[in-house]
Amino acid sequence: MDKILRIDVGAESGPKATKVPVGEYAGLGGRALTSAIISKEVPPLCHPLGGENKLVIAPGLLSGSAGSMSGRISVGCKSPLTGGIKESNSGGQPSQVLARLGYNAIVLEGKPKSNDLYKVFINKDGVKITVDNSLKMLPNYDLVAKMKSEYGDKISCISIGPAGEMKMGAASIAFTDMELRPTRHAGRGGVGAVMGSKNIKVIVLDDTGMQIRAPKDPQKFQDANKRFVNGLKSHPVTGQGLPAYGTNVLTNILNEVGGYPTYNFKQGRFDGASKISGETQAETETKRGGLATHGCHRGCVIQCSGVYHDKDGHYLTKQPEYETVWAHGGNCGISDLDKIAMLDFLDDNYGIDTIEMGATIAVAMEAGLAKFGDADAAIQLVHEVGKGSHLGRILGNGAAMTGRAFGVERVPVVKGQAMPAYDPRAVQGIGVTYATSPMGADHTAGYAVAQNVLKVGGDVNALKPEGQVEISRNLQIATAAIDSTGMCLFIAFAVLDQPDTFQALLDMLSAFYGISMTGDGVTDLGKKVLKMERDFNKAAGFTPQHDRLPSYFKTEKFAPHNVTFGVTDEDLDKVFNW
Amino acid sequence: MRLSRDHGALYPHLAFTVDETLVSCFYALLQQGVMVRCRTGCSVAAFLKDELKAGEETIEKIQSIILDGKPVDDLEAAWIKDGSTLALSAAMPGLVGATLRRGGAYSSFRSAITYHETKEAYEPEDGVVKIKIFNLLMSGLGRDLLKGGVMVPAGAIRNFLEERSYDFWQGCRQILLDSAPIALGALRDPAWLSGKDQIILSVIAA
Ligand code: SF4
Repeated sequence: MDKILRIDVGAESGPKATKVPVGEYAGLGGRALTSAIISKEVPPLCHPLGGENKLVIAPGLLSGSAGSMSGRISVGCKSPLTGGIKESNSGGQPSQVLARLGYNAIVLEGKPKSNDLYKVFINKDGVKITVDNSLKMLPNYDLVAKMKSEYGDKISCISIGPAGEMKMGAASIAFTDMELRPTRHAGRGGVGAVMGSKNIKVIVLDDTGMQIRAPKDPQKFQDANKRFVNGLKSHPVTGQGLPAYGTNVLTNILNEVGGYPTYNFKQGRFDGASKISGETQAETETKRGGLATHGCHRGCVIQCSGVYHDKDGHYLTKQPEYETVWAHGGNCGISDLDKIAMLDFLDDNYGIDTIEMGATIAVAMEAGLAKFGDADAAIQLVHEVGKGSHLGRILGNGAAMTGRAFGVERVPVVKGQAMPAYDPRAVQGIGVTYATSPMGADHTAGYAVAQNVLKVGGDVNALKPEGQVEISRNLQIATAAIDSTGMCLFIAFAVLDQPDTFQALLDMLSAFYGISMTGDGVTDLGKKVLKMERDFNKAAGFTPQHDRLPSYFKTEKFAPHNVTFGVTDEDLDKVFNW
Repeated sequence: MRLSRDHGALYPHLAFTVDETLVSCFYALLQQGVMVRCRTGCSVAAFLKDELKAGEETIEKIQSIILDGKPVDDLEAAWIKDGSTLALSAAMPGLVGATLRRGGAYSSFRSAITYHETKEAYEPEDGVVKIKIFNLLMSGLGRDLLKGGVMVPAGAIRNFLEERSYDFWQGCRQILLDSAPIALGALRDPAWLSGKDQIILSVIAA
């Protein structure tokens, strides 16, 4: 990996690809690279769908190597949903393939000169960009099937569905999985709309003839990778819980503690929770001949995903994740797993973020467009988005837009982006992250490594309420760093509890690049990334008042515990004091 | 079969002997919650050990303990009372999973809902406790609980029986109602449940 592929979509005779040396961005990967390019090259006040915005797609530092869990990919831009900087990341095969093809990143830039739609094909011989208007408004599954028939089955694809083409704020970018299905998505923040604004429908990658990326010190790398894998396998979460049930294993317990946002964040418990839990989902998948344990890309040893079949045993979608099952399930009062799986498929097919879409439908239900619990009505609303009807255009632009259009007060967004599946009144610490993350409400923003491993900002007394601000800060720093390595964030559970596993990760990075990576180095990287992102947002007009939850979280009591969000604004403003 | 727990003769006792692979079908009931008659007025630690017969290793595996909807940090300082609901889970993923772990590094994140005992101790008495068992604990602790017999609301049993497929019934080796075999047709006819609010269910693998 030593070059960046820049595609100027505004070139005179149609999009023009240029390979440039990685230069000043050397040593950066994933989120660190996307955020560095966006903050340096994109004017913060630009229109997110205009020619000045850029879309950056960057594999992680270890992507394309034999390192386990290294296949996440980051997508960065100025977000049409939040108006701030965005990094949205995804699993799937393209990260490994793009890295093996030698690219640190693909940057889409400029403003198209016509309405033509393009496909980009990249292999060992170079880059070919072709106009193909027959792809217009194709959903992701049909699109990928067409690419397969054209380029064979050794490819992987990065694509947008109709939502991206219509430049909707909830539009995602799809990344194909090991089975060449468009099931993995950079969902958050409307990144698909930015790809749509560049008139690029699909990027097809083929790494045939390319080698696996070699580490500087193969022996040390192999040894560290082995320790890392052993650490993941021996931990109860990464070795047992996630493989057996996936992330949806959280449903029952969140519901039990009354922190499961139900009926558009009205209450913390859903009567139908056990019908849509990870335990029930895994049992259903196994019974129907699907898979309850499966990876989203080659090299994943945790395998938190799965394959969901319909009642007749036919493929319906990949295993919907916790956030998806919650967004379309409990948050909309829906307790039918098959219908939720169908909604997941439709989201993937039209290219929409499942969290934003579920939250939006719940707001629409509150507005009276459908009844809570009416799964068929929810499916119909997603079809409206796919069709691009007037109603669909509103819904496809997310919960905030829908709330405004229909006069709903209870709209669970921060910086315009819908909150994920944890109510910040019950779990207040996560509310600190929702409020202050430069990304808008995002559960993964403060997710990763324990501060007691990294000692970011010194020791914190976690048992004191005021520890929430410090912990949120430390987690956001650590997460930004992990996102920059391209490792799946789910490694965090093992790294959190097992310092040896964290050391193994540092050793992998060190052996691969022939450097000496320390915990402090990781911390500094995380801080640097966050600072770039915060500075961008500030220049884009964000103030401390944007680092707040909607005010109803402070006033509406949340059953069953009847709690409100109690972290003060003064404390929220301290999160980035380091 | 003999129940290991004394539920009295108040309710009908439905006893399943099923193929090994079918025991997991009953875990759906564990997620919703089953009741046990037991000694209450004891700490969560004592309850797990004495009433649920959980060994050291199992207790170590139980990383999240939710008593009456509130995460417990100190097992010795939280008390089981008549009518309590106790939910048990292995270690969960994600920041929120870590937040809900007992005594975990992120417990301050959910301080607004953490369990705090209001009294120092409670009098021991007979009572009924609702138990929910989730995820990786279902195949060990949950299975033992089902073997020993639990009380299940009649409505939950009715739904459970209605939802079973042909394959399930094929794998049932023996079904006894109050120690007498009951025909499939009679069991699936909700008439036998009419007027009952609870039944005692026990499940063993053939
Ligand atoms: S743990 Fe899950 S999300 Fe992470 S790489 Fe594996 S399958 Fe993908």
